[in-house]
Amino acid sequence: MESVIVILSPLIAFLIIAFFGRKIGDLASAIICILGGALSFLFSTFISYQVLSSQNPIHIKLYNFLPLQNFTISFGLYFDTLSAITTTVVTFVSTLIFIYSVGYMHNLFGQWTYKFYAYLSLFLFAMLLILLSDNLLGIFFGWEGVGLASYLLIGYFHETKKAANASLEAFTLNRVGDWLFIFGIIYCFYLFGSIDLLDIFKGVNDVNKNLLGVAALLLFGGAVGKSGQLPLHTWLPNAMAGPTPVSALLHAATMVAAGVYLVARVYPVFDNAPESLKVVALVGGITALFAALSATAQTDIKKIIAFSTMSQLGLMYLALGIGDQVGAMFHLTTHAFFKALLFLAAGSVIHAFGHHVHDIFEVGNLKKYMPITYGMFMVGALALAGVFPLSGFWSKDRIIGSVYDVSFGFGVLASVVSLLTAYYIFREAFVMFHGKERHKDKAHESEGVMVVPMVVLAIMAVGSGFFEGWYSGLFGAHKEIHLNIAVMSVVIALVGIGIAYLVYVRGLVEPERAYESLKTLHTTFKEQFFTEKLYHKILANGYMNLSKLLFIIGDKSAIDGFINLSRTVYFRVVKTLWIRLDVMTVDLFVNGVARIAYRSGKVLRNLQTGLLNNYVSFLVLGIVFILGILIKFMR
Amino acid sequence: MSISLAYILLSIFLFLLGLLGVIIRKNLITMLVSTELMLNSANIVLVSIDHIMKGVEGQVFALFVLTIAAAEVAIGLGLVVALFRLKGYESSSEITHLRG
Repeated sequence: MESVIVILSPLIAFLIIAFFGRKIGDLASAIICILGGALSFLFSTFISYQVLSSQNPIHIKLYNFLPLQNFTISFGLYFDTLSAITTTVVTFVSTLIFIYSVGYMHNLFGQWTYKFYAYLSLFLFAMLLILLSDNLLGIFFGWEGVGLASYLLIGYFHETKKAANASLEAFTLNRVGDWLFIFGIIYCFYLFGSIDLLDIFKGVNDVNKNLLGVAALLLFGGAVGKSGQLPLHTWLPNAMAGPTPVSALLHAATMVAAGVYLVARVYPVFDNAPESLKVVALVGGITALFAALSATAQTDIKKIIAFSTMSQLGLMYLALGIGDQVGAMFHLTTHAFFKALLFLAAGSVIHAFGHHVHDIFEVGNLKKYMPITYGMFMVGALALAGVFPLSGFWSKDRIIGSVYDVSFGFGVLASVVSLLTAYYIFREAFVMFHGKERHKDKAHESEGVMVVPMVVLAIMAVGSGFFEGWYSGLFGAHKEIHLNIAVMSVVIALVGIGIAYLVYVRGLVEPERAYESLKTLHTTFKEQFFTEKLYHKILANGYMNLSKLLFIIGDKSAIDGFINLSRTVYFRVVKTLWIRLDVMTVDLFVNGVARIAYRSGKVLRNLQTGLLNNYVSFLVLGIVFILGILIKFMR
Repeated sequence: MSISLAYILLSIFLFLLGLLGVIIRKNLITMLVSTELMLNSANIVLVSIDHIMKGVEGQVFALFVLTIAAAEVAIGLGLVVALFRLKGYESSSEITHLRG
């Protein structure tokens, strides 16, 4: 029962808000949304406690969804250590973001904002479906639900062209991933004869490794689309067009985490097909570096953090690829805390300027006006950079340690990514909160409803790292921290922070001159190595042009031509028939009668002179005529 | 030629005279007088036929005709006078409203 509440409470909240939101108002909708998330969090904590203390997964079959001949697709919930803890973290972070969104969206209340909360609840429900479903089809269902909810939320400000395009792009690129994912599910069914996770886990040793690798790669394709990894990444930065709580939710708890979770969920499949793991590691590593480099050149407040998410997810995939599943999931957890914190702090800055400021160079020296937000952002940034003893240090260090164990090349890559991470996030922090005052409007600290979730998340971002040993112990994958690597990571992080400090606070390098000399590099990074241009200009526009061409050839000339031709022919036929039958026969007869009557009338009217005398003459003639007849014939 | 035939011929002559008067003359009163002429020629025929056939019905009928003719003349003359006073018509050629 408790387990059902976990997944149903956001759904019920969604239904209530969707059907009655207009009546009960926006604030009440927000409260229902928060209650749905909080209930879900409470019960998932309870379930996690049960699962962890008993060490036994809870598996509940809810009902048979689709009975086929000798196979039944059922819907059920599966709580093991992985899903229970992830569910707890997701519902916790989501609830905090929901609370924060009350403050953030407050100025939009009264403008159908209940829709926003309905979408948020739907988003959480879909994510919980991914986390808790016991078969791949249920996961796919949630997968699509997450896609739908993200589409609605990214495009929430649908009056702006940018948001509408961003949501469309997110939906389209996710479709590519989902397409691979559903083929992965079909392939799994073909391999295992079942899509239940437990059956799959049981069967992985019995099937052909090569075929298993194909299934793993197809499933990974779905994860790539959802997590914004190369080459399906362009939607993730553009998704920043949505409201900030959505970005936080998207990046911390619900959307992009689903990809990493999926790979971790079906990890036995990957584990038994080692070649597929190499692909995962490669994609993750390249994405991590790519996104980190792109992040260094961005100037949008939220886009920097978005690229950071991409980069960190790349690190997680790298960790998954080299076999450190627990490290990846732990990094996902800590990342959820500090990334949500960073987004909420960034949203606090945007909110302070009435949602008009989006560039980091439009503001400056905000620490004077927004001390709490400054502190929160710094905590998040330090955690992201991986400075001891914040949470990011523990999780990232574990990953980097594992990576060095497996491959020195990937290890160096991970270190470089860490350096870049520390640099770009502190670049943003220093530009926004230190330096000259560039903003004209007055900044103000955010209200309590926004600050409290940030503080809670900050506590988690600081403290959650200490649970690394406990977390690893749950999975039985304990890992000693290498002191050299730990020291090296911290030094790297501090070097990155130092560079950002020297450049953006001390002004060691003249920004204009640096920009001039590094212009090519800067543009390359800023344009994401021109992948976005490639997708938008060549793929999307090419497709549009192809469609237009096909439209002109197929529709305009062939179909429209045929229709126009038949129309012309039909008109001709009808016109001929009309002339032949109607004009030349019927009208001729009618007009002839009329003309005869007219002509004869014209002649005969002359008899009607109007003169009395003439009438009398005619009378006499008539009488004579009639009498003549009478005399002739009646004799 | 017996006297009776002379009466009949007289009445035919009078009738044709009246007819000619109605057809040719334009003055409304003259036309009315001409119709009286035709009516009375008919009376002559009635009486003369009675004389020939030794009956009395024709004479009685002629008396009726005389009576009705008096009434008819009163109405006809009234109409003509009224027409003249209202519209100023005195010739039948002025009343041509029915010309086609």
